Amino acid sequence: MGEIIKSYYQKVIAEFWDQKTAVVLLGILSGLYFGTVGVVWAVTGEFTRWGASFLKLIGVDLSPYTYLKIIKYKGTVLTRIDGVMVLGMFAGALIAALFGQNFKLRIPTAKRVLQALIGGIIAGFGTRLAMGCNLAALFTGIPQFSLHTWFFTLGTIFGTYIGIKITLSPYFRGEPKLVKASEFNAGNLKANTQIQPFLGWLGLIVFAGILLSRPEMPNNLKLATVFGFAFGFLIQKGQVCFTSAFRDLWLVGRTTTLKALVWGMAVQMLLTAAFIAKGTPAKVLWAGPNALIGGLLFGIGIVIAGGCETGWMYRSMEGQVHFWFVGLGNVIGATILFLVWDKGVYKYLAEPFPKFSLIEHFGYLPAFILTGLFLLGLYLWADLREASGRSMIKNKTMSVRRV
Amino acid sequence: MEEKRYVLDLRGEPCPYPVVYSLQVLAELESGALLEILADCPQSFKSVPEEVVKAGYEMVEPPQKIGPTLRFLVRKP
Repeated sequence: MGEIIKSYYQKVIAEFWDQKTAVVLLGILSGLYFGTVGVVWAVTGEFTRWGASFLKLIGVDLSPYTYLKIIKYKGTVLTRIDGVMVLGMFAGALIAALFGQNFKLRIPTAKRVLQALIGGIIAGFGTRLAMGCNLAALFTGIPQFSLHTWFFTLGTIFGTYIGIKITLSPYFRGEPKLVKASEFNAGNLKANTQIQPFLGWLGLIVFAGILLSRPEMPNNLKLATVFGFAFGFLIQKGQVCFTSAFRDLWLVGRTTTLKALVWGMAVQMLLTAAFIAKGTPAKVLWAGPNALIGGLLFGIGIVIAGGCETGWMYRSMEGQVHFWFVGLGNVIGATILFLVWDKGVYKYLAEPFPKFSLIEHFGYLPAFILTGLFLLGLYLWADLREASGRSMIKNKTMSVRRV
Repeated sequence: MEEKRYVLDLRGEPCPYPVVYSLQVLAELESGALLEILADCPQSFKSVPEEVVKAGYEMVEPPQKIGPTLRFLVRKP
Protein backbone atom coordinates (compact mmCIF):
# COMPACT_ATOMS: atom_id res chain seq x y z
CA MET A 1 0.00 0.00 0.00
CA GLY A 2 2.66 2.50 1.07
CA GLU A 3 4.71 1.57 -1.97
CA ILE A 4 1.80 2.17 -4.31
CA ILE A 5 1.05 5.58 -2.81
CA LYS A 6 4.73 6.44 -3.06
CA SER A 7 4.87 5.48 -6.70
CA TYR A 8 1.73 7.51 -7.51
CA TYR A 9 3.16 10.48 -5.65
CA GLN A 10 6.34 10.15 -7.66
CA LYS A 11 4.49 9.94 -10.97
CA VAL A 12 1.92 12.67 -10.35
CA ILE A 13 3.80 15.15 -8.19
CA ALA A 14 7.51 14.70 -8.79
CA GLU A 15 7.99 13.61 -12.38
CA PHE A 16 7.06 15.12 -15.71
CA TRP A 17 3.80 13.89 -17.18
CA ASP A 18 3.28 12.19 -20.47
CA GLN A 19 2.75 15.08 -22.84
CA LYS A 20 -0.28 13.72 -24.64
CA THR A 21 -2.07 13.05 -21.35
CA ALA A 22 -1.41 16.62 -20.23
CA VAL A 23 -2.58 18.10 -23.55
CA VAL A 24 -5.78 16.05 -23.71
CA LEU A 25 -6.56 17.14 -20.14
CA LEU A 26 -5.89 20.74 -21.19
CA GLY A 27 -8.31 20.24 -24.08
CA ILE A 28 -11.03 18.97 -21.77
CA LEU A 29 -10.42 21.69 -19.19
CA SER A 30 -10.39 24.51 -21.72
CA GLY A 31 -13.64 23.18 -23.18
CA LEU A 32 -15.15 23.24 -19.68
CA TYR A 33 -13.65 26.67 -19.02
CA PHE A 34 -15.44 27.96 -22.11
CA GLY A 35 -18.69 26.37 -20.96
CA THR A 36 -18.60 27.49 -17.33
CA VAL A 37 -16.75 30.82 -17.30
CA GLY A 38 -17.97 31.72 -20.77
CA VAL A 39 -14.68 32.80 -22.34
CA VAL A 40 -11.96 31.11 -24.36
CA TRP A 41 -8.69 30.18 -22.61
CA ALA A 42 -6.41 32.97 -23.81
CA VAL A 43 -3.57 35.05 -22.42
CA THR A 44 -2.30 37.67 -24.86
CA GLY A 45 -5.35 39.92 -24.61
CA GLU A 46 -4.41 40.31 -20.96
CA PHE A 47 -0.78 41.09 -21.86
CA THR A 48 -2.10 43.86 -24.13
CA ARG A 49 -4.08 45.28 -21.22
CA TRP A 50 -0.89 45.32 -19.12
CA GLY A 51 0.77 47.40 -21.82
CA ALA A 52 -2.23 49.72 -21.84
CA SER A 53 -2.16 50.05 -18.05
CA PHE A 54 1.51 50.97 -18.17
CA LEU A 55 0.89 53.69 -20.77
CA LYS A 56 -2.00 55.00 -18.68
CA LEU A 57 0.28 55.09 -15.66
CA ILE A 58 2.76 57.33 -17.47
CA GLY A 59 -0.04 59.65 -18.56
CA VAL A 60 -0.97 58.50 -22.08
CA ASP A 61 -4.59 59.17 -23.09
CA LEU A 62 -5.93 55.78 -24.13
CA SER A 63 -9.35 56.91 -25.39
CA PRO A 64 -8.42 57.07 -29.12
CA TYR A 65 -7.34 53.44 -29.32
CA THR A 66 -10.28 51.35 -30.53
CA TYR A 67 -8.40 48.07 -30.15
CA LEU A 68 -8.73 48.40 -26.38
CA LYS A 69 -12.51 48.49 -26.77
CA ILE A 70 -12.43 45.29 -28.82
CA ILE A 71 -10.53 43.52 -26.04
CA LYS A 72 -12.74 45.14 -23.37
CA TYR A 73 -10.00 46.94 -21.50
CA LYS A 74 -11.19 47.94 -18.07
CA GLY A 75 -10.66 47.25 -14.40
CA THR A 76 -7.44 45.75 -13.05
CA VAL A 77 -5.71 42.42 -13.29
CA LEU A 78 -7.62 41.35 -10.15
CA THR A 79 -11.07 42.23 -11.49
CA ARG A 80 -10.69 40.73 -14.97
CA ILE A 81 -11.38 37.09 -15.76
CA ASP A 82 -8.29 36.85 -17.99
CA GLY A 83 -6.29 38.67 -15.32
CA VAL A 84 -6.94 36.29 -12.44
CA MET A 85 -6.72 33.31 -14.81
CA VAL A 86 -3.22 34.40 -15.88
CA LEU A 87 -2.20 34.86 -12.22
CA GLY A 88 -3.57 31.38 -11.54
CA MET A 89 -1.46 30.03 -14.39
CA PHE A 90 1.71 31.55 -12.94
CA ALA A 91 0.89 30.02 -9.56
CA GLY A 92 0.13 26.61 -11.04
CA ALA A 93 3.30 26.56 -13.13
CA LEU A 94 5.44 27.67 -10.20
CA ILE A 95 4.03 25.02 -7.87
CA ALA A 96 4.40 22.32 -10.54
CA ALA A 97 8.03 23.36 -11.06
CA LEU A 98 8.69 23.25 -7.30
CA PHE A 99 7.04 19.83 -6.97
CA GLY A 100 9.39 18.47 -9.63
CA GLN A 101 12.48 20.24 -8.22
CA ASN A 102 12.79 22.06 -11.53
CA PHE A 103 13.26 25.52 -10.19
CA LYS A 104 16.64 27.04 -10.84
CA LEU A 105 17.67 30.57 -11.75
CA ARG A 106 19.22 30.21 -15.18
CA ILE A 107 20.98 33.36 -16.29
CA PRO A 108 21.11 33.85 -20.07
CA THR A 109 23.93 35.42 -22.06
CA ALA A 110 23.46 38.93 -23.46
CA LYS A 111 22.93 37.48 -26.91
CA ARG A 112 20.06 35.27 -25.75
CA VAL A 113 18.45 38.21 -23.92
CA LEU A 114 18.50 40.15 -27.18
CA GLN A 115 17.03 37.15 -28.95
CA ALA A 116 14.31 36.80 -26.31
CA LEU A 117 13.31 40.46 -26.61
CA ILE A 118 13.29 40.59 -30.42
CA GLY A 119 11.42 37.31 -30.73
CA GLY A 120 8.99 38.27 -27.98
CA ILE A 121 8.16 41.62 -29.61
CA ILE A 122 7.58 40.05 -33.07
CA ALA A 123 5.42 37.30 -31.57
CA GLY A 124 3.48 39.71 -29.35
CA PHE A 125 2.72 41.99 -32.29
CA GLY A 126 1.77 39.10 -34.57
CA THR A 127 -0.46 37.40 -32.07
CA ARG A 128 -2.52 40.50 -31.37
CA LEU A 129 -2.75 41.29 -35.09
CA ALA A 130 -4.34 37.85 -35.50
CA MET A 131 -6.45 38.36 -32.34
CA GLY A 132 -4.96 35.42 -30.47
CA CYS A 133 -1.89 33.28 -29.94
CA ASN A 134 -1.36 29.55 -30.03
CA LEU A 135 -4.34 29.44 -27.67
CA ALA A 136 -7.22 31.62 -28.89
CA ALA A 137 -6.17 31.36 -32.55
CA LEU A 138 -5.06 27.73 -32.47
CA PHE A 139 -5.44 25.32 -29.57
CA THR A 140 -8.59 26.86 -28.11
CA GLY A 141 -9.50 28.76 -31.31
CA ILE A 142 -9.85 25.95 -33.84
CA PRO A 143 -12.46 24.27 -31.56
CA GLN A 144 -14.45 27.53 -31.79
CA PHE A 145 -15.01 26.77 -35.49
CA SER A 146 -13.79 30.21 -36.57
CA LEU A 147 -12.11 30.20 -39.97
CA HIS A 148 -9.53 32.81 -38.99
CA THR A 149 -7.79 30.23 -36.80
CA TRP A 150 -7.03 28.14 -39.88
CA PHE A 151 -5.31 31.11 -41.52
CA PHE A 152 -3.40 31.75 -38.32
CA THR A 153 -2.28 28.13 -38.09
CA LEU A 154 -1.05 28.06 -41.68
CA GLY A 155 0.78 31.35 -41.12
CA THR A 156 2.38 29.92 -37.99
CA ILE A 157 3.56 26.80 -39.83
CA PHE A 158 5.44 28.90 -42.39
CA GLY A 159 6.55 31.41 -39.81
CA THR A 160 8.22 28.78 -37.65
CA TYR A 161 10.18 27.58 -40.70
CA ILE A 162 11.54 31.08 -41.28
CA GLY A 163 12.16 31.39 -37.54
CA ILE A 164 14.37 28.31 -37.54
CA LYS A 165 16.42 29.66 -40.43
CA ILE A 166 17.08 32.77 -38.36
CA THR A 167 17.69 30.82 -35.13
CA LEU A 168 20.24 28.56 -36.84
CA SER A 169 22.00 31.46 -38.56
CA PRO A 170 25.63 31.68 -37.45
CA TYR A 171 25.09 34.74 -35.25
CA PHE A 172 22.29 33.32 -33.10
CA ARG A 173 23.38 29.71 -33.21
CA GLY A 174 26.78 30.29 -31.70
CA GLU A 175 29.25 27.48 -31.26
CA PRO A 176 28.93 24.52 -28.92
CA LYS A 177 32.04 23.95 -26.84
CA LEU A 178 33.18 20.36 -26.61
CA VAL A 179 35.47 19.52 -23.70
CA LYS A 180 37.53 16.38 -23.06
CA ALA A 181 36.09 14.62 -20.03
CA SER A 182 39.48 14.53 -18.34
CA GLU A 183 39.63 18.32 -18.43
CA PHE A 184 36.10 19.02 -17.33
CA ASN A 185 34.89 19.88 -13.90
CA ALA A 186 31.12 19.90 -13.63
CA GLY A 187 31.18 21.26 -10.11
CA ASN A 188 28.76 19.85 -7.62
CA LEU A 189 25.70 18.66 -9.52
CA LYS A 190 23.87 17.70 -6.35
CA ALA A 191 22.06 20.99 -5.98
CA ASN A 192 20.17 21.37 -2.78
CA THR A 193 16.64 21.22 -4.14
CA GLN A 194 14.93 18.82 -1.74
CA ILE A 195 13.21 21.76 -0.11
CA GLN A 196 11.37 22.69 -3.30
CA PRO A 197 8.48 20.20 -3.00
CA PHE A 198 7.79 21.47 0.54
CA LEU A 199 7.71 25.04 -0.77
CA GLY A 200 5.34 23.80 -3.46
CA TRP A 201 2.91 22.40 -0.87
CA LEU A 202 3.21 25.57 1.16
CA GLY A 203 2.45 27.58 -1.98
CA LEU A 204 -0.59 25.44 -2.66
CA ILE A 205 -1.91 26.08 0.85
CA VAL A 206 -1.34 29.83 0.46
CA PHE A 207 -3.07 29.78 -2.94
CA ALA A 208 -6.10 27.95 -1.55
CA GLY A 209 -6.07 30.23 1.51
CA ILE A 210 -6.21 33.38 -0.62
CA LEU A 211 -9.18 32.07 -2.59
CA LEU A 212 -11.07 30.87 0.49
CA SER A 213 -10.47 34.06 2.45
CA ARG A 214 -12.07 36.32 -0.15
CA PRO A 215 -15.85 35.90 0.12
CA GLU A 216 -16.35 39.18 -1.77
CA MET A 217 -14.61 37.79 -4.86
CA PRO A 218 -17.20 36.89 -7.54
CA ASN A 219 -17.57 33.21 -8.22
CA ASN A 220 -16.62 33.37 -11.88
CA LEU A 221 -13.33 35.05 -10.95
CA LYS A 222 -12.65 32.30 -8.42
CA LEU A 223 -13.45 29.67 -10.99
CA ALA A 224 -11.19 31.35 -13.56
CA THR A 225 -8.36 31.44 -11.02
CA VAL A 226 -8.70 27.72 -10.34
CA PHE A 227 -8.86 26.90 -14.04
CA GLY A 228 -5.78 29.08 -14.59
CA PHE A 229 -3.98 27.18 -11.86
CA ALA A 230 -4.79 23.86 -13.55
CA PHE A 231 -3.69 25.19 -16.96
CA GLY A 232 -0.37 26.41 -15.56
CA PHE A 233 0.19 23.20 -13.61
CA LEU A 234 -0.47 21.05 -16.67
CA ILE A 235 1.67 23.01 -19.14
CA GLN A 236 4.63 22.77 -16.76
CA LYS A 237 4.13 19.11 -15.88
CA GLY A 238 3.63 18.12 -19.52
CA GLN A 239 6.27 20.60 -20.74
CA VAL A 240 3.66 21.68 -23.24
CA CYS A 241 5.64 23.93 -25.52
CA PHE A 242 3.40 24.94 -28.43
CA THR A 243 6.44 26.43 -30.17
CA SER A 244 8.09 23.04 -30.36
CA ALA A 245 5.03 21.49 -32.04
CA PHE A 246 5.95 23.11 -35.34
CA ARG A 247 9.59 24.03 -34.75
CA ASP A 248 10.79 20.55 -33.84
CA LEU A 249 8.80 18.98 -36.63
CA TRP A 250 10.63 21.17 -39.14
CA LEU A 251 13.91 20.78 -37.30
CA VAL A 252 14.23 17.04 -36.76
CA GLY A 253 10.86 15.52 -37.69
CA ARG A 254 9.69 15.35 -34.08
CA THR A 255 5.92 14.79 -34.03
CA THR A 256 5.15 14.29 -30.31
CA THR A 257 3.82 17.75 -29.50
CA LEU A 258 1.87 18.45 -32.68
CA LYS A 259 0.10 15.10 -32.44
CA ALA A 260 -0.73 15.74 -28.79
CA LEU A 261 -2.20 19.12 -29.76
CA VAL A 262 -4.35 17.51 -32.45
CA TRP A 263 -5.77 15.08 -29.87
CA GLY A 264 -6.36 17.91 -27.42
CA MET A 265 -8.24 19.92 -30.01
CA ALA A 266 -10.31 16.96 -31.22
CA VAL A 267 -11.57 16.25 -27.69
CA GLN A 268 -12.10 19.92 -26.96
CA MET A 269 -14.11 20.41 -30.16
CA LEU A 270 -16.84 18.08 -28.91
CA LEU A 271 -17.21 20.04 -25.67
CA THR A 272 -17.16 23.49 -27.24
CA ALA A 273 -19.73 22.43 -29.86
CA ALA A 274 -22.06 21.25 -27.10
CA PHE A 275 -21.69 24.54 -25.23
CA ILE A 276 -22.13 26.60 -28.40
CA ALA A 277 -25.29 24.62 -29.17
CA LYS A 278 -26.54 25.42 -25.65
CA GLY A 279 -25.98 29.12 -26.26
CA THR A 280 -22.47 30.11 -25.16
CA PRO A 281 -21.35 32.57 -27.84
CA ALA A 282 -18.38 31.30 -29.85
CA LYS A 283 -15.35 33.51 -30.40
CA VAL A 284 -15.38 34.25 -34.12
CA LEU A 285 -13.14 36.89 -35.67
CA TRP A 286 -12.16 38.36 -39.02
CA ALA A 287 -10.88 35.71 -41.39
CA GLY A 288 -8.62 38.21 -43.08
CA PRO A 289 -4.98 38.76 -43.97
CA ASN A 290 -4.46 39.93 -40.40
CA ALA A 291 -4.79 36.31 -39.22
CA LEU A 292 -2.39 34.96 -41.85
CA ILE A 293 0.22 37.71 -41.44
CA GLY A 294 -0.20 37.63 -37.68
CA GLY A 295 0.36 33.88 -37.67
CA LEU A 296 3.44 34.26 -39.84
CA LEU A 297 4.97 36.90 -37.55
CA PHE A 298 3.96 34.88 -34.50
CA GLY A 299 5.69 31.78 -35.92
CA ILE A 300 8.88 33.68 -36.65
CA GLY A 301 8.84 35.37 -33.26
CA ILE A 302 8.23 32.33 -31.08
CA VAL A 303 11.07 30.35 -32.63
CA ILE A 304 13.53 33.23 -32.28
CA ALA A 305 12.38 33.74 -28.69
CA GLY A 306 12.45 30.02 -27.90
CA GLY A 307 8.91 29.98 -26.57
CA CYS A 308 5.44 31.35 -27.13
CA GLU A 309 3.07 33.20 -24.84
CA THR A 310 2.26 30.16 -22.72
CA GLY A 311 5.78 28.78 -23.06
CA TRP A 312 7.37 31.81 -21.45
CA MET A 313 4.81 31.72 -18.66
CA TYR A 314 5.75 28.32 -17.31
CA ARG A 315 9.45 28.67 -18.12
CA SER A 316 9.72 31.99 -16.33
CA MET A 317 8.32 30.21 -13.27
CA GLU A 318 11.04 27.55 -13.58
CA GLY A 319 13.53 30.37 -13.08
CA GLN A 320 14.58 30.67 -16.72
CA VAL A 321 15.43 34.38 -16.77
CA HIS A 322 15.60 34.27 -20.58
CA PHE A 323 11.82 33.88 -20.63
CA TRP A 324 11.16 36.89 -18.41
CA PHE A 325 12.47 38.89 -21.34
CA VAL A 326 10.29 36.97 -23.80
CA GLY A 327 7.30 37.99 -21.69
CA LEU A 328 8.43 41.61 -21.61
CA GLY A 329 8.85 41.45 -25.40
CA ASN A 330 5.31 40.07 -25.77
CA VAL A 331 3.82 42.95 -23.81
CA ILE A 332 5.83 45.49 -25.84
CA GLY A 333 4.82 43.86 -29.15
CA ALA A 334 1.13 43.71 -28.20
CA THR A 335 1.27 47.37 -27.11
CA ILE A 336 2.78 48.45 -30.45
CA LEU A 337 -0.05 46.63 -32.23
CA PHE A 338 -2.84 48.42 -30.40
CA LEU A 339 -1.11 51.74 -31.01
CA VAL A 340 -0.98 51.19 -34.80
CA TRP A 341 -4.32 49.35 -35.10
CA ASP A 342 -6.24 52.50 -36.10
CA LYS A 343 -3.56 53.64 -38.52
CA GLY A 344 -4.76 51.43 -41.37
CA VAL A 345 -4.16 47.97 -39.89
CA TYR A 346 -7.81 47.40 -39.03
CA LYS A 347 -9.15 49.21 -42.09
CA TYR A 348 -7.17 47.18 -44.63
CA LEU A 349 -6.30 43.87 -42.98
CA ALA A 350 -9.35 43.03 -40.87
CA GLU A 351 -12.47 45.16 -41.34
CA PRO A 352 -13.32 44.16 -44.97
CA PHE A 353 -13.25 40.48 -44.10
CA PRO A 354 -16.07 38.41 -42.61
CA LYS A 355 -16.17 36.92 -39.17
CA PHE A 356 -16.59 33.46 -40.57
CA SER A 357 -18.03 30.71 -38.39
CA LEU A 358 -18.02 27.21 -39.84
CA ILE A 359 -21.06 26.34 -37.73
CA GLU A 360 -23.11 29.34 -38.86
CA HIS A 361 -22.26 28.82 -42.52
CA PHE A 362 -22.40 25.07 -42.85
CA GLY A 363 -24.18 23.69 -39.78
CA TYR A 364 -22.83 21.50 -37.01
CA LEU A 365 -22.08 18.26 -38.84
CA PRO A 366 -20.16 19.81 -41.77
CA ALA A 367 -18.30 22.05 -39.31
CA PHE A 368 -17.25 18.95 -37.39
CA ILE A 369 -16.18 17.17 -40.54
CA LEU A 370 -14.23 20.15 -41.89
CA THR A 371 -12.47 20.78 -38.60
CA GLY A 372 -11.79 17.06 -38.27
CA LEU A 373 -10.24 17.03 -41.74
CA PHE A 374 -8.11 20.05 -40.91
CA LEU A 375 -6.81 18.31 -37.77
CA LEU A 376 -6.26 15.10 -39.70
CA GLY A 377 -4.28 17.11 -42.25
CA LEU A 378 -2.00 18.41 -39.50
CA TYR A 379 -1.54 14.88 -38.17
CA LEU A 380 -0.73 13.46 -41.60
CA TRP A 381 1.67 16.28 -42.36
CA ALA A 382 3.50 15.44 -39.13
CA ASP A 383 3.79 11.78 -40.11
CA LEU A 384 4.93 12.59 -43.64
CA ARG A 385 7.53 15.03 -42.43
CA GLU A 386 8.88 12.49 -39.94
CA ALA A 387 8.90 9.71 -42.54
CA SER A 388 10.83 11.89 -44.96
CA GLY A 389 13.73 11.75 -42.50
CA ARG A 390 14.64 15.34 -43.30
CA SER A 391 16.45 17.45 -40.76
CA MET A 392 17.32 21.13 -40.79
CA ILE A 393 20.44 20.52 -38.73
CA LYS A 394 23.11 20.46 -41.39
CA ASN A 395 26.21 19.24 -39.65
CA LYS A 396 28.74 20.21 -42.23
CA THR A 397 27.82 23.85 -42.10
CA MET A 398 28.18 24.14 -38.35
CA SER A 399 31.33 24.38 -36.36
CA VAL A 400 32.13 22.81 -33.03
CA ARG A 401 34.82 24.31 -30.85
CA ARG A 402 36.97 21.66 -29.21
CA VAL A 403 38.76 22.52 -26.02
CA MET B 1 43.52 2.11 -24.82
CA GLU B 2 42.16 5.37 -23.48
CA GLU B 3 38.44 5.80 -23.88
CA LYS B 4 37.44 8.83 -25.91
CA ARG B 5 35.11 10.68 -23.62
CA TYR B 6 33.83 14.22 -23.96
CA VAL B 7 31.54 16.60 -22.15
CA LEU B 8 29.08 19.04 -23.71
CA ASP B 9 27.89 21.51 -21.11
CA LEU B 10 24.63 23.09 -22.28
CA ARG B 11 23.42 24.36 -18.94
CA GLY B 12 21.68 27.71 -19.44
CA GLU B 13 20.86 27.13 -23.12
CA PRO B 14 17.13 27.24 -23.95
CA CYS B 15 15.34 25.15 -26.59
CA PRO B 16 16.00 24.23 -29.31
CA TYR B 17 19.75 24.57 -28.80
CA PRO B 18 20.25 21.49 -26.58
CA VAL B 19 18.91 19.20 -29.35
CA VAL B 20 20.68 21.13 -32.12
CA TYR B 21 24.04 21.18 -30.34
CA SER B 22 23.84 17.54 -29.24
CA LEU B 23 23.17 16.24 -32.74
CA GLN B 24 25.74 18.53 -34.27
CA VAL B 25 28.49 17.49 -31.85
CA LEU B 26 27.67 13.77 -32.11
CA ALA B 27 27.94 13.99 -35.89
CA GLU B 28 31.47 15.37 -35.50
CA LEU B 29 32.72 12.87 -32.94
CA GLU B 30 34.83 9.83 -33.80
CA SER B 31 33.21 6.42 -33.80
CA GLY B 32 33.19 4.77 -30.37
CA ALA B 33 33.34 8.05 -28.48
CA LEU B 34 31.27 8.70 -25.36
CA LEU B 35 29.56 12.04 -24.92
CA GLU B 36 28.22 13.32 -21.63
CA ILE B 37 25.62 16.03 -22.12
CA LEU B 38 24.62 18.38 -19.31
CA ALA B 39 21.54 20.55 -19.72
CA ASP B 40 18.96 22.32 -17.58
CA CYS B 41 16.20 23.21 -20.03
CA PRO B 42 13.45 20.88 -18.70
CA GLN B 43 12.05 20.06 -22.11
CA SER B 44 15.41 18.49 -23.04
CA PHE B 45 14.73 15.67 -20.59
CA LYS B 46 12.63 13.98 -23.24
CA SER B 47 13.60 15.68 -26.49
CA VAL B 48 17.38 15.14 -26.30
CA PRO B 49 17.41 11.38 -25.57
CA GLU B 50 14.60 10.68 -28.05
CA GLU B 51 16.19 12.65 -30.89
CA VAL B 52 19.66 11.26 -30.18
CA VAL B 53 18.35 7.69 -30.42
CA LYS B 54 16.34 8.51 -33.53
CA ALA B 55 19.51 9.82 -35.17
CA GLY B 56 21.19 6.46 -34.58
CA TYR B 57 23.19 7.03 -31.37
CA GLU B 58 23.01 4.94 -28.26
CA MET B 59 21.91 6.07 -24.81
CA VAL B 60 24.37 4.30 -22.51
CA GLU B 61 22.17 4.80 -19.44
CA PRO B 62 18.67 6.21 -18.81
CA PRO B 63 18.45 10.02 -18.68
CA GLN B 64 19.36 11.31 -15.23
CA LYS B 65 17.71 14.16 -13.42
CA ILE B 66 19.72 15.63 -10.56
CA GLY B 67 17.40 18.36 -9.24
CA PRO B 68 17.05 20.74 -12.18
CA THR B 69 20.20 19.44 -13.91
CA LEU B 70 19.85 16.85 -16.66
CA ARG B 71 22.60 14.45 -17.61
CA PHE B 72 22.75 12.18 -20.64
CA LEU B 73 25.45 9.69 -21.59
CA VAL B 74 25.55 8.88 -25.29
CA ARG B 75 27.80 6.60 -27.33
CA LYS B 76 28.48 7.05 -31.01
CA PRO B 77 28.52 3.57 -32.57
